[in-house]
Amino acid sequence: MNKAYCFLFGIVFVCCGQKQAEETEFLSNECRKWPAFATKAGFPAGPNSAFSTSEKKKMGLLLIGISNDTGGRKMYQHPSWTTGGWLAPIQLDNYGNLFTAPAPVVNVLKNAPDSQNVIYKVDGATGEMRLFTSLGEPAKTENQNPYGIMSLCYLCESDLLYVATVAGSTRTKEAGGLYCIDAATGKIKDKLMGFDPFGTGICYIEGKRKIYFGKARTSEIFSVELTASGKFSGKPQLVVSLDGLGPRGDDKAKKIRFTTKGEMIVEGYEFNFNLIAPAEKQTTNYYFRYNANNEKWNAIDGKAIR
Amino acid sequence: MNVKLTVLSLFAIPALVSCLGKNESKITALNEIKDVVDSKILPPDSLRTFPFVTERVNRIEAVLRGGTPVLLLTDSVSDVQQKAQQVAVTDPRFMKNSKDSVSGKPYRNEIFGIYPARESDFTGIPYNWKGGNCFRVEMYNYALNLTTVALVDIIKPLVISVNHFEQSQPDLPPHLKDLAIQIATASPEVAEALGYPPQNNQALMAATKTSLNRTRCERSRHLCVAPTFLKDGKALWAIVDLTEHRLAGIRWTGTGTTGPSVITERRLQNDKMTACFCEQETAVEKDGWKLKYMLTASDGLRISDVFFNNRQVLYSAKLVDWHVSYSNTDGFGYSDAVGCPEFSHAAVIANEPPALRTLKNDAGAVLGFVLEQSFASEGWPGPCNYNYKQRYEFYTDGKFRVSCASLGRGCGNNGTYRPVMRIAPVGDQANFAEWNNNAWQNWSTEKWQLQGAQTAYTPEGYQYKLETGGGNGFYIEPGKGQFNDGGRGDDAYVFVTRWNAGKEEGDADLVTIGPCCNNDYHQGPEKFIEPSPENIAGSRIVIWYVPQMKNDNAKGREYCWAESFVNSTGTKEAKVYPCYAGPMFIPVKK
Repeated sequence: MNKAYCFLFGIVFVCCGQKQAEETEFLSNECRKWPAFATKAGFPAGPNSAFSTSEKKKMGLLLIGISNDTGGRKMYQHPSWTTGGWLAPIQLDNYGNLFTAPAPVVNVLKNAPDSQNVIYKVDGATGEMRLFTSLGEPAKTENQNPYGIMSLCYLCESDLLYVATVAGSTRTKEAGGLYCIDAATGKIKDKLMGFDPFGTGICYIEGKRKIYFGKARTSEIFSVELTASGKFSGKPQLVVSLDGLGPRGDDKAKKIRFTTKGEMIVEGYEFNFNLIAPAEKQTTNYYFRYNANNEKWNAIDGKAIR
Repeated sequence: MNVKLTVLSLFAIPALVSCLGKNESKITALNEIKDVVDSKILPPDSLRTFPFVTERVNRIEAVLRGGTPVLLLTDSVSDVQQKAQQVAVTDPRFMKNSKDSVSGKPYRNEIFGIYPARESDFTGIPYNWKGGNCFRVEMYNYALNLTTVALVDIIKPLVISVNHFEQSQPDLPPHLKDLAIQIATASPEVAEALGYPPQNNQALMAATKTSLNRTRCERSRHLCVAPTFLKDGKALWAIVDLTEHRLAGIRWTGTGTTGPSVITERRLQNDKMTACFCEQETAVEKDGWKLKYMLTASDGLRISDVFFNNRQVLYSAKLVDWHVSYSNTDGFGYSDAVGCPEFSHAAVIANEPPALRTLKNDAGAVLGFVLEQSFASEGWPGPCNYNYKQRYEFYTDGKFRVSCASLGRGCGNNGTYRPVMRIAPVGDQANFAEWNNNAWQNWSTEKWQLQGAQTAYTPEGYQYKLETGGGNGFYIEPGKGQFNDGGRGDDAYVFVTRWNAGKEEGDADLVTIGPCCNNDYHQGPEKFIEPSPENIAGSRIVIWYVPQMKNDNAKGREYCWAESFVNSTGTKEAKVYPCYAGPMFIPVKK
């Protein structure tokens, strides 16, 4: 099997006002449905409508529309969309619901450290955002770690939400892990703890379904196999490292996505568990291709620039 | 050993190892931590240079004074290679970024490589090339950290294509490799670490058969390489900055599989500062003063247990927040915490170790010493990047000053900086008084006050008096532009709150205490006063000092500001206009 059939992207389905769903040509990803409330509000599904959590000066979730005629932008924000403070990851499910989670920006004024380990759900019909589930109040970190949930990843066929969290981690204690959550009920189905994950993506490869995750402390990317019911199977295996690659050489994998050509695209940037403004950080895409002969991901020459 | 070790954990181990450069420890385990602690960060303002560097600087300056600001490649260059670089530097596309577009001053540009073109170089370029006629010319721009690549046909002669690669560095020519090794071997820090002065041919990586390890100076965005020396199964990385021709730092690593594979400027700085200044306190005894300091996760550089002549003066002092407001109307700005580079709430991080300096007057007489800490964004002095200083002054006569400054540049020229300092004086039965109607009038309850045009001062310039018990205490003199540090007056809010045992109001690291953009007294400390101010007479108190500094970029009036300029060696430097603010504490004479 030469192809790696991959689906579902990394942290943010919609980022910086650019809807990225159009890049997903894969069957499995088709399940994700555009919310009905968004269409009703005048933001129909398509390349000109997008959800964003990264608008400057606008806290929370936003719905952005771009006019084909003028190129102008319009925005919509439901009153409930600011109740979680600054938000980051966005995932749509196959019913048109949206999941998101908080993440502090520059400071913790609107993102208290003890409330960063929760997931919010935006009802696809009404647009109202409510607390969906909490992964538990993290241990106190003495201001060492303002972060909680780092990424969300939705598995269409099982209606499962995978959550990467670093809540409660400190310099000396790696307390994070991956959760598998029933996207309908919010119930935790499985968890894999003891490491700090960052960006996540799911891929079918060599007949196996795996979740890939970058580590928040190092430049490494690991994968762990998923069972038919979506539970974690076995220990995480090192896949590849960004160490020494790119203009900085120590990027962390913020987003991971795959193409039908068997390529893994990793968006890397500086991350050191602090609150340096995102605007100061440069990001770099790293490209890897799966080699079925040696079952390894190799940096694609000329793309993952050393 | 002057360090108190209270918690013995994996990362408290550095407390057993000197962060001041002495090999006191006998610890053989946890070698990686010891390697971090033993690493050295060299300050960028070091004035050290070497004759071979002076020679190169002279050559650079001579070239930049000429018409074409490019150092041509001279390492074993053939006639055809020589022609290729000559053709390249006469093409305006190739030279597009060779000078500053505003000032017209030349940047330092240098040809790093001239290679026979390969077929792959012409991918997507419709050109009927012939092997042997075409060359790939690579030029590096030190000021912009930019690589320009030209494909040159030397027969026509013409430049076929030009590409510019931002934040990218080509392979080094042999003479720069040699220069890096020379700088490393001539630097005393390298010899001290190795235990002997190394020879140039000892900079060799056995695994790679090359003399230089790749590294990066991510923060300074300079051209850096790391001559590496092997000793006793370990590798000493000497990070050499070829933009400034200096040693940036050194660090040992194991040659096994543990630890980072690449030591970079940022890795070196973050690891060292975390191990030495975030994970442990450092004690100082100097000029009659005794104190401890450490970097916090969100409250800057904290000093604690401050004694003068064996009498305690302060429990602690620190910098809780920087509030930066850009307009009176739309509430745009930032509330920044400063602190440790990793595992912190800091938005602007410590980028250098704390520095102790001698404090002298204009005549050169020693007045005491200064403890300084710098916090900076990596893109500073670019727009929307920040650089803050914290500065504690300790005088031989018992005076001390708690101050801080912004060095710009921020997001606009209409910004107001409001740092929130927390000062916890000693004394469980303290009294705080203001000068009013020619007398000291005690504050009986928690309150705040704004320094302004109507503020009354004693003839000496004191605004407040702090009695700490037993006839001891301090007069408090706010900044009014009199401290000869460029400060133009503090315009400060002063809050006094009661300290209560069991009530956490800032002894531990505080999360962001207030929003960016309140233009009144709502800067955060008021939350410890309102709605019911407590009695403070004869109590242990905390003083919160919030000066207000408005930035300015008008020529000749710059304040809280920074500009970058092109220097004589064709790289960028920052000219800073700091706005220092903070009160002086003058001992009350019994």
